[in-house]
Amino acid sequence: MSPGDSVKTTVVDTFRAKAEAVNAIVQEVPSKAAALQYIVDVCASKSPAEILADEPDAEQGPPGPNNMPTRVKRIVAAPELDDADFATLSAACEAKGFICLRNGLRKHLAGIDVGVSTGILGVAASGTCMVNCDKEDVRLAGMICEIHVVFLRKSTIHPDLPSIASQLRQRIGEGVTYTTLISGPSRTADIERVAAVGVHGPLELHVILLED
Amino acid sequence: MHEAPNSLSDYRKQIDSALQDDFLRRTLDTFAVAYRANRETIFKEVDERALINQIAESRDKACQRMEELFIQFREKAEKLGVKVHRAATADEANEIIARIARENNVKRVVKSKSMTAEETQLNERLLKDNLIVDETDLGEWIIQLRHEGPSHMVMPAIHLSRYQVADDFTKVTGTKQDTDIQKLVKVARVQLRRKFIAGDMGVSGCNFAIAESGTCTIVTNEGNARMVTTLPRVHVVIAGLDKLTPTLEEALTALLVLPRNATGQRLTTYVSFIHGAGECQASPNGKKTLHIVFVDNGRTEIARDPLFSQVFRCVRCGACANVCPVFRLVGGHKMGYIYIGAIGLILTYFFHGKDIAKVLCQNCVGCEACKNVCAGGIDLPRLIREIRSRLNDELGNDTQAALLGSVMKSRKLFHSLLKFAKYAQKPFTGGTQFQRHLPAIFLGKHGFKALPAIASESFRDRWESIKPIVPNPTQTVAIFSGCAQDFVYPEELEACVKVLGANNVAVEFPFDQTCCGLPLEMMGQRKTSQDVAEQNVRAFAAGKYDAIITLCASCASHLKHNYPNLLEGRPQVLAAAKAFAEKVTDFSSYVHDVLKLGPDNFRNSGEKVTYHASCHLCRGLGVKEAPRALIASAATYVPCEEEEVCCGFGGTYSAKFPEISAQLLEKKLLNVSATGASRLVVDCPGCVMQLKGGVEKQKLGVKVTHISELLAENLKR
Ligand code: SF4
Ligand code: SF4
Repeated sequence: MSPGDSVKTTVVDTFRAKAEAVNAIVQEVPSKAAALQYIVDVCASKSPAEILADEPDAEQGPPGPNNMPTRVKRIVAAPELDDADFATLSAACEAKGFICLRNGLRKHLAGIDVGVSTGILGVAASGTCMVNCDKEDVRLAGMICEIHVVFLRKSTIHPDLPSIASQLRQRIGEGVTYTTLISGPSRTADIERVAAVGVHGPLELHVILLED
Repeated sequence: MHEAPNSLSDYRKQIDSALQDDFLRRTLDTFAVAYRANRETIFKEVDERALINQIAESRDKACQRMEELFIQFREKAEKLGVKVHRAATADEANEIIARIARENNVKRVVKSKSMTAEETQLNERLLKDNLIVDETDLGEWIIQLRHEGPSHMVMPAIHLSRYQVADDFTKVTGTKQDTDIQKLVKVARVQLRRKFIAGDMGVSGCNFAIAESGTCTIVTNEGNARMVTTLPRVHVVIAGLDKLTPTLEEALTALLVLPRNATGQRLTTYVSFIHGAGECQASPNGKKTLHIVFVDNGRTEIARDPLFSQVFRCVRCGACANVCPVFRLVGGHKMGYIYIGAIGLILTYFFHGKDIAKVLCQNCVGCEACKNVCAGGIDLPRLIREIRSRLNDELGNDTQAALLGSVMKSRKLFHSLLKFAKYAQKPFTGGTQFQRHLPAIFLGKHGFKALPAIASESFRDRWESIKPIVPNPTQTVAIFSGCAQDFVYPEELEACVKVLGANNVAVEFPFDQTCCGLPLEMMGQRKTSQDVAEQNVRAFAAGKYDAIITLCASCASHLKHNYPNLLEGRPQVLAAAKAFAEKVTDFSSYVHDVLKLGPDNFRNSGEKVTYHASCHLCRGLGVKEAPRALIASAATYVPCEEEEVCCGFGGTYSAKFPEISAQLLEKKLLNVSATGASRLVVDCPGCVMQLKGGVEKQKLGVKVTHISELLAENLKR
């Protein structure tokens, strides 16, 4: 399947529109390096993560919006990056005084600042990213963070749900134990049907669209 | 925790208190209107009907193969390190899960939403073992704190206000909480994060158990299911056997409809596919302990039932409650037991037994709104009627229903009683067309509306004198009058005959016809309802006519859709019943679509006329355009808000649940008044009876007529 350029543009546009409709922030960046820099910038500009539960070793700052102490050292988790990218990100984080992790996220279930995932594919019709969460740390990175950043290659965006069936089946066949389709940040409307984001998982979802 | 009404009067008391709950009423009102609009928008992007049909077909097939799918799933899943259990009953399922907890030395259980766990009442069982059990879906957690059951399958706490939630959260945290909803949500974020971390065992539901690969699919918006299935070292999935789905494709197709129907979303925020026991760093061996408990609880038996097996098309989207006018008034606690809304009435009977279901099952006005939106295309109102009939067989008839049944068995007895009523009512009508106290032959108490009087001369008595003479007819039709028009509103039929006659249609009126039988069906009187159907089929030699016209939307939809089903077991009339059903046409469709009458055929009176779309016409028969076009041909049509929402008549329903019927009427009349129209036209004498009665009682000064009368008055000569 090699759809023409104009078709591809439409699919990307649709993806963006539908993802934004569910409160995702969609960004296009020129290069992988820019994407990594984006993570550092996002982490720097957010308010530090609140520590929602006991974490004895965490250095505590002033209370955040929900009256929980905040992290003095911000945490970025990127379990899926390859060695080179992780080294780049890690160095950039260090320069800012952030902790950059690849594993061991169970120690920080009280909450981290940014979690980074790699989307395997996208679904335009619903603004969805599919993430392979086989590894527990990958799953946790997207769950316990305040901002979830997902990298997605434009060429992997499919038009709709039925069109991802064979890809999804293939993953499952390969023995991937946990796969999640993600559309927007976690949300609820359980109190008076008023929409609220960030109930258990991320408060924000950023999708970074990458050229191939 | 869950309460079921014992008697109708007990139930009506409960309903009364729900009707007094202003917050609930306001919430459900806004919700009903917003839901309808959102749903319409979000379905524009897909082919709704095609998808629903696809789901229905694939679910039906899956249901036939339930056993096979279970074996396939088990084989696949066990290879992936999953322990698969099967529980014959709800209790057995609970015992299995309690045992898993014991064997794994579990102290704290965190749950994500599962209707099946609600069905088995799992929490109560786990609490007995002194386990700490916490719901983690925000709505479920709130109602757990309040010791209540869910009032909606998707939004379990929709009946509560932010103030109530703030109080509950104040109690549980020991700190005064703000009533700001965004803040309350964050309180839950903090509190529940700690519970996720502390949990030893997670219990989740499962939306689709994909048999080809042994995969569980779980759908949530909050992300709590991902926490519940990831953090604790043990994970137990509880699923009804009906969740077995042959392939991934079927799950993905259903996912195009489920979120759209449930919450007007294109897709829920998270859809997770759990395929075997994965990595879990909280376990000593680094692997999750994963169990799946399939619950039967009567499902294999239902799967064998040719009619009721369609309940397994249900994807638990909750839409049948969202559009239900009764739910909108009384809320989920009064319209279900654990499962809620139309499907709730049905599943209560199967999963929780006839004693709990017997009264609840009566509370359906039969408006078909649910059937129209069901993700699986389940014929919910029909199944509800069917259950009433079974309940009558199992528990014995209630007296009112039995009396009706015995009267209706004989057309002559029924008709002579109606004529008798005409004399008996004389002292009460005070000379107007309304009587204040109808002798209770087939109607109960209706304080909220004036009741019509039996006409001094029925349509059948007038027939000879009004029968049109059509020398060269283009078509020949027969009239099916229905009781209401024959005996209460013969003028509506007379108007119809006038319109038809003037357009070269020969009209006949077979005298042996009787009540269509829908009231009997509504009261569960199956046998008599079949007798009456047979009599009507025999009364009309359908082959002789181009069409059988009826002016009553309820009769029309009953004759057309239910007769062939009802008479399935009577081979001697079945073919005739099908031919008969084929010919049945509602008045508006016949005049608009067959005779093609339009602006050229009527004098436009310029009168401001609004419309009430009868349930059985707009949904039952899918007729929407014809009546509106006809009104616009003869007058100025002013659309009404919520034109397609039930007026609350529902035949015998308004006698059983007068309080609900009155509220529906009230709402309708508010909308009608707001149009400023001087006339309201309707396609159904039942609705005319309800609306005319309400208008008279409230002295609204709006004229209510059948559409046939509007057309007859403005016929061009
Ligand atoms: S038919 Fe109407 S009243 Fe009955 S359950 Fe369905 S929506 Fe509710
Ligand atoms: S019966 Fe139909 S509408 Fe009701 S919850 Fe089930 S699928 Fe949804």
